[in-house]
Amino acid sequence: MEKVYITGMGVISAIGNDVLSCYNALNSAQTGIGKANFFQSKYTKSLLFGEVQLENHQLISLTDSSYETGLTRTTLLAYKAFQDAIKDAKLSENDISSFKTGFISSSTVGGMSNTDELYADANLKGEPSEFVLSYGGGEHVLRMVKKYNIKGFTSTINTACSSSVNAIILGARLIKSGRLDRVIVGGTDSLAKYTVNGFNSLMILSDTFCQPFDEEGKGLNLGEGAGYLVLESERIAKDKHKIAEVLGYGNANDAYHPSATSPEANGPRLAMKKALENAEISEKKIDYINAHGTGTVNNDETELFAFKETFSTIPPFNSTKSYTGHTLAASGVIESIFSIISLNENKLFPSLNCEKPIGEEENSPIKVVSEKELNIVMSNSFGFGGNCSSVIFKKTT
Amino acid sequence: MYITDLKCISAQETYSDKFIKGELNEIKEVTYLALEPNYLEFIPKGLLRRMGKAVRMGIGTGLPLVKAHNNIDGIIIGTANGGLEDCIKFLNQIVEYDEGTLTPTNFVQSTPNAIAGQLALMGGNHSYNITYTNGGTSFENTLLDALLLFEENNAQKLLVGGLEEISDYNYNIDFLANKYKIELISTTDLLQSTSKGTICGEGSNMFILEKEAVNYYAQVLDVEQITYPTQEDLKVILTQLLERQGLKLEDISSVMLGYNGDENHKSWYDFVGNELLPNTTLYTFKQFVGDYRTVSSFAVWLSAHILNESISTKHHFIIREKNNSSTSEKKYHLIYNHFDGVRHGFILLSN
Repeated sequence: MEKVYITGMGVISAIGNDVLSCYNALNSAQTGIGKANFFQSKYTKSLLFGEVQLENHQLISLTDSSYETGLTRTTLLAYKAFQDAIKDAKLSENDISSFKTGFISSSTVGGMSNTDELYADANLKGEPSEFVLSYGGGEHVLRMVKKYNIKGFTSTINTACSSSVNAIILGARLIKSGRLDRVIVGGTDSLAKYTVNGFNSLMILSDTFCQPFDEEGKGLNLGEGAGYLVLESERIAKDKHKIAEVLGYGNANDAYHPSATSPEANGPRLAMKKALENAEISEKKIDYINAHGTGTVNNDETELFAFKETFSTIPPFNSTKSYTGHTLAASGVIESIFSIISLNENKLFPSLNCEKPIGEEENSPIKVVSEKELNIVMSNSFGFGGNCSSVIFKKTT
Repeated sequence: MYITDLKCISAQETYSDKFIKGELNEIKEVTYLALEPNYLEFIPKGLLRRMGKAVRMGIGTGLPLVKAHNNIDGIIIGTANGGLEDCIKFLNQIVEYDEGTLTPTNFVQSTPNAIAGQLALMGGNHSYNITYTNGGTSFENTLLDALLLFEENNAQKLLVGGLEEISDYNYNIDFLANKYKIELISTTDLLQSTSKGTICGEGSNMFILEKEAVNYYAQVLDVEQITYPTQEDLKVILTQLLERQGLKLEDISSVMLGYNGDENHKSWYDFVGNELLPNTTLYTFKQFVGDYRTVSSFAVWLSAHILNESISTKHHFIIREKNNSSTSEKKYHLIYNHFDGVRHGFILLSN
């Protein structure tokens, strides 16, 4: 079976506008969570957010998009990360427009980030806004198809917070099947009144810094960002720089509750088990896990239980949501990129704010920046609707 | 892969046998609303009350299939918008109550993956589970995923479906974007219309797909899709699809096209039906159910009945009959649909 390699990465999150600045923040244990500067909501007074430190006009200028109207922040974040990923992989215009190059993205809020315009348009209040064609979850994909002249297969996935891991999985499968040679995969979500009020109504937002895997965790912080990976087949990648290999993946459903995880951790356990089987490796080979780790005790307890059931010794793990906040559909790919940074730098980054680990001290996530030879790493993402996915990356050098 | 079972909710009596036995409803409304079944037979009352229309139609078509077929290895749903009514209800509360204390029901129901999630939950199914939200090719995405799962030997049997609801809000938004007709037009006259826009429909179409089957409605051979194509691009991807199956354009015996009475986007169907595939039997389907972004799932439902010869109203859908078509041959049937001329999909079926 053809191997699938990552040949380009692009990311934007609260801790940096590109891969290098994100690495620097992780390496110095600097969170990006704080008071929102640009996002407008009643909750900016009381809650903390993982906000990207660029205003829309700056994103527009960084992505040469000033000629477009109706651009949402969700799309702008996607443009920036996508642009970095294709540059990193040194893709030509012809490469991108090949019928054998696909594009798979994901988003939960999509163009609904423009909550107030959507309210007016949906309720026929006044003239149509410039965003009237921009609300759908798949609309950012249309923009990108046009902007970058993509001709091949496209898809948009919404499995809530596991969306972009499923984008990576589908991309890898399409390459292995021979249908595509190359596929750009990832996801994007921006801060939105819609999601902030939604998560707030479920009472799972913390009014302080989120504390993944702390037994007194008060909930999660919402964040925003985007990430894209260029995946290429072994045949096409040839002597290109290969950042990592997509070694295995698994997708399963918890089938327990629309918005909470089961105490038996069926979904998370199955997702990790399938990923290990698909990678054809023993659990002992996993050197590090980038956990889903939202900071809600329900999620973190379930995930920890799933680790205990899956691993004879739990590998070092962290939740980088303590840096970026929960970036929803984008979280899977952003955390995959952070995992790959760890893999290639042979560095473990601390999970922030875990003072009292759930249960016992040995359940503690990584506490300090440390060096460790890493060969194979795992990243987990679990979402509403019971959607659980896990992906495994292997070092190539 | 083979379609071995199927369920449909649409503006016609498709949940029962009435439609395929010949009972066609003439509709002359602003939208073609779905005729919903009595869900209480399999959805508890308390749960049903909280379900939005998209979720309810999805469960109504999907759950009986999940329950009737054991060992389903995956649930794959395509929906451009999911529960948009719930979504805007929640949004309205945000704005009207100035981000006050809100109840989460609408929020949880509004996520497009709520349908696949609920089907897994109610069916006790822990297998592969995914939702595609790629506008007009969301359903085509689901079929490709299913083909891959079978190829990879990761599944024997899957639940696959496409659905969309009409809410006042998505109707308003699409209306503002000039997608719908201003005048009232009936099912009989829709395809003869020379004005711009179409009629908004809704529905849910679910299928059991199996890797191997002896008794089946139809075989799904392959699927292709493209966004913002030229006519030349469209020809390239259709040729690619046929080449993968060892077929030529001449091998296609019938084609089902998504004509929707919209003068703006008719030329795409003319191109495929008249220029690429002139010697085929030509079917249409939107006159009875309206148009929505995952309506190609209805086309598959109807085509499966046509190929299986389980429909007595086939002639209502034929607008051009192929000369000297033999009845015993292997038939290749192509569905071509696009939404707004933006996302285009081909689905190749066989009897």
